[in-house]
Amino acid sequence: MLELRDITAGYERRRPVVSGVSLTVAPGESVGLLGPSGCGKSTLARVAALLHRPDAGTVTVDGVAAPGWRHRAPRALRTSFGVVFQQPRLSADPRLRLADLIAEPLRATGRRAQASAAVAELAPAVGLTADLLTRRPHEVSDGQLQRACLARALVLEPRWLICDEMTAMLDASTTAALVAVVEAYRARTGAGLLAVGHDRTLLERWCDRTVRWSDLAGTERVTAPGEGPAAA
Amino acid sequence: MTAPRTTAPPAPVLSVRELSVRFRMRGGHHVRAVSGASFDLAPGSCLALVGESGCGKSVLASALLGLLPGNAETSGAAHLTAADGAPAVELLTADEPLLARTVRGRRIGLVPQSPAAHLTPVRTIRAQLEETVRELGGGPAAPAAGAARGTSAARRPGRRAAREALRAAAERAADRAAFPLDHLDRYPHQLSGGLAQRAASALALVGDARLLLADEPTTGLDRDLVARTVDALRAHADDGRALLMITHDLAAAERIADHVAVMYAGRIVEHADAATFFGTPGPRHPYARGLLDALPGRAFAPIPGLPPELGALPDGCAFAARCPRADARCAVRPEPSDGVACHHPHPGPPPADAPEKSEEKGDRRARTA
Amino acid sequence: MADSHTSTRQEATAAPGPGTAPGTGAALAPGVTWHRRPGTGHRRRTRTVRVWVSAGLVAAVVLAVLVVPLLVPLDNQSVDLARKLQAPSLSHPFGTDEVGRDLLLRCVYGLRVSLLVGVVAALVAVGLGTAVGALAGALGGWADRAVMRLVDLFSSVPHLLLGIFIVAMFRPGVWPVILSVALTHWLSTARIVRAEVLSLRSRPHIDAAISGGASRWRVAVRHLLPGVLPQAGLAAVLMVPHAIWHESALSFLGLGLPAHEASLGIMVNAARGSLLAGAWWPTLFPGLFLIVPTLALAGLAGAWRERINPRRRSELML
Repeated sequence: MLELRDITAGYERRRPVVSGVSLTVAPGESVGLLGPSGCGKSTLARVAALLHRPDAGTVTVDGVAAPGWRHRAPRALRTSFGVVFQQPRLSADPRLRLADLIAEPLRATGRRAQASAAVAELAPAVGLTADLLTRRPHEVSDGQLQRACLARALVLEPRWLICDEMTAMLDASTTAALVAVVEAYRARTGAGLLAVGHDRTLLERWCDRTVRWSDLAGTERVTAPGEGPAAA
Repeated sequence: MTAPRTTAPPAPVLSVRELSVRFRMRGGHHVRAVSGASFDLAPGSCLALVGESGCGKSVLASALLGLLPGNAETSGAAHLTAADGAPAVELLTADEPLLARTVRGRRIGLVPQSPAAHLTPVRTIRAQLEETVRELGGGPAAPAAGAARGTSAARRPGRRAAREALRAAAERAADRAAFPLDHLDRYPHQLSGGLAQRAASALALVGDARLLLADEPTTGLDRDLVARTVDALRAHADDGRALLMITHDLAAAERIADHVAVMYAGRIVEHADAATFFGTPGPRHPYARGLLDALPGRAFAPIPGLPPELGALPDGCAFAARCPRADARCAVRPEPSDGVACHHPHPGPPPADAPEKSEEKGDRRARTA
Repeated sequence: MADSHTSTRQEATAAPGPGTAPGTGAALAPGVTWHRRPGTGHRRRTRTVRVWVSAGLVAAVVLAVLVVPLLVPLDNQSVDLARKLQAPSLSHPFGTDEVGRDLLLRCVYGLRVSLLVGVVAALVAVGLGTAVGALAGALGGWADRAVMRLVDLFSSVPHLLLGIFIVAMFRPGVWPVILSVALTHWLSTARIVRAEVLSLRSRPHIDAAISGGASRWRVAVRHLLPGVLPQAGLAAVLMVPHAIWHESALSFLGLGLPAHEASLGIMVNAARGSLLAGAWWPTLFPGLFLIVPTLALAGLAGAWRERINPRRRSELML
């Protein structure tokens, strides 16, 4: 069970972008969080993945309340989340070859020996050829890079997947392919999924349950599309 | 080879013939990013150029704008005509001063992918619009307005009149893009994504360009905003502009386009009427069909495999390795015929529609003439 | 709009096509001409020429200061007042100074001292700055604030004044000058590196690394540091000429190297009297030896800056 309770978070204390939001994902469940761009749903996703410390509220992972965020969260708790972001260019270290990019979490957690086997198994699963694995991010397309980023998120076999606009930059075929990879992984491991996005058709097709951002409790600061925050 | 029509069709704003772009890489080999693209764009119509990332569609746009990097080489022709008898411009061979002075902003308006990055964060929308108006010489009506006021008593207040004319021109530009005038004095960060996109469109429209080029204008926008952005762009096309939209977003393309050109591995593999492409009988090229079937609203099934490397394209059909219909014939590259470059296309619309398909025929004639 | 193809074909054909006539279908035939944008190649060539000239000058300077001292020893005592202030000639291409010493030889030796001071001081300053800046940026919070206030404190003192204060604490020599320049020049690097670390830290790839179980140390060493090293390297190259000028300034003021050393700053200082007497060469040649290598280094640094700009990294637009 992944429980977010009364989360208030933001980047400046006086102007939270998320206020008092609660959200629960059951084990093995896939939840789509649907909201307009810039509404704060990405911030909530980062809070859920223990990557952004909220100003208030708790995150409980499988019954354990998160004691801290980022490096203050225990490594085992951190690595129970696999995260994929919207922009593959920004989420990939430009110096790493794709194979090293995928294996980086294994190296970081002292399982260097498993790296080549894991890459050899994951790369075909996400649709990457051996030739692509030797390249650096600027030598591949957005879609190919996002495939590598998804493989990196799966390499530690996380119990939870957080996909923040994973397919927003991608074409229809790559989108369908990546969603299929995620679903195959979940079918094998029973991992839960929080998929954040703005495409209702996609999320409803993909997820067991879709939550609208505006329906989440306490989110009074939802800006209507077409109106600036200053217009409120 | 007789003209099929008696009524004179509108002359295209942009006419692209056999446009190819290649990049010279280290070691002397070449990467062919665009190969033999041909299409016409008439005023009032919208062509959506769709395809996955890395298929060459952005390179095509950069070639039209003269914004390719230094190691790029082009061949073919891209002809930009003018309505008022001004000389036509051959975009591929025009030199940079000509493009900068008379083409970009004036004859081709660029609607950017990311308005947030396109707008200057430290200046208000009004300031940016007025600056653009000033740079571009005031748009169509502004000089006239200035001249009307600056007759007798306007020796002194000529400056003020000019400033008012500038202000009026900027507001007209904002109005054209449906940007609310009471938001003009805001800074870009105070605008929502939709308004920022409209501000960027307003900037693109200042020069009153007859050709609008929108490069992935809907990336990262949510559905409502996509619909609104796309409808705004469509309205500009309905005003008599030609619109070339480059996108991977098929839903947006469906909403806006009159014609669809599908690019795969640097080639336009299908060029079709949007209504038949998205409706019945649907796309004819297996790749286009696969792309459409991958939509979450349809089969949601990916096309197996990956697109080929542009640096190592096969001799035959580039899609054959992923194609369910491929056979031995596909080892020879199919020439475009009737708008489709495929040996085994899906059936097209019934022959009753034949006059509607004259565009593809014209296309083929242009090739074989 | 559906029928626009036919009508434009003539216009398109009339256009000055770059190679094959449009619409012939021959664009893919082997005989096709490829067209490069005019201007871009020229700009690129200018850049290449600039880089090679700069690199050649730097190489020549390094070679000169390494090889010449092996061939011709500098004899500080070779004072020959009979030959003082001779104009440039074949035997003394740069002329002689006010006590009759050969200026060419002294310029080369002076450049050697200046380069040594410049390179070592720049490396120490940038190393210190990178360490401090990276630490501040990576730790954040109160550590960051404390370190940056320290930087502000150092910055509030004019750095030449601070440098003079530091040299004054030691006996004249090369190392006090290096120390003085290094200790006053790490501040800007620290600021740059901290800003760079802060911007890198908020990038999703750092988030991904943390989520992948990377420790603080691993994030700093494997993900943050490689990101700032090009910037730091650039800062170091830019710092070398600056440090050379500082050494010269200190020496010119009589606070740097001992007066008998061949330092460019000392030489310019000593030449002041001769300049009034109408001898321009003791000022011009040491001055040129200061200016030309610094411009060459700056040219190289500029090329490097363009290289590490990520926009230029990819040759292929995808």
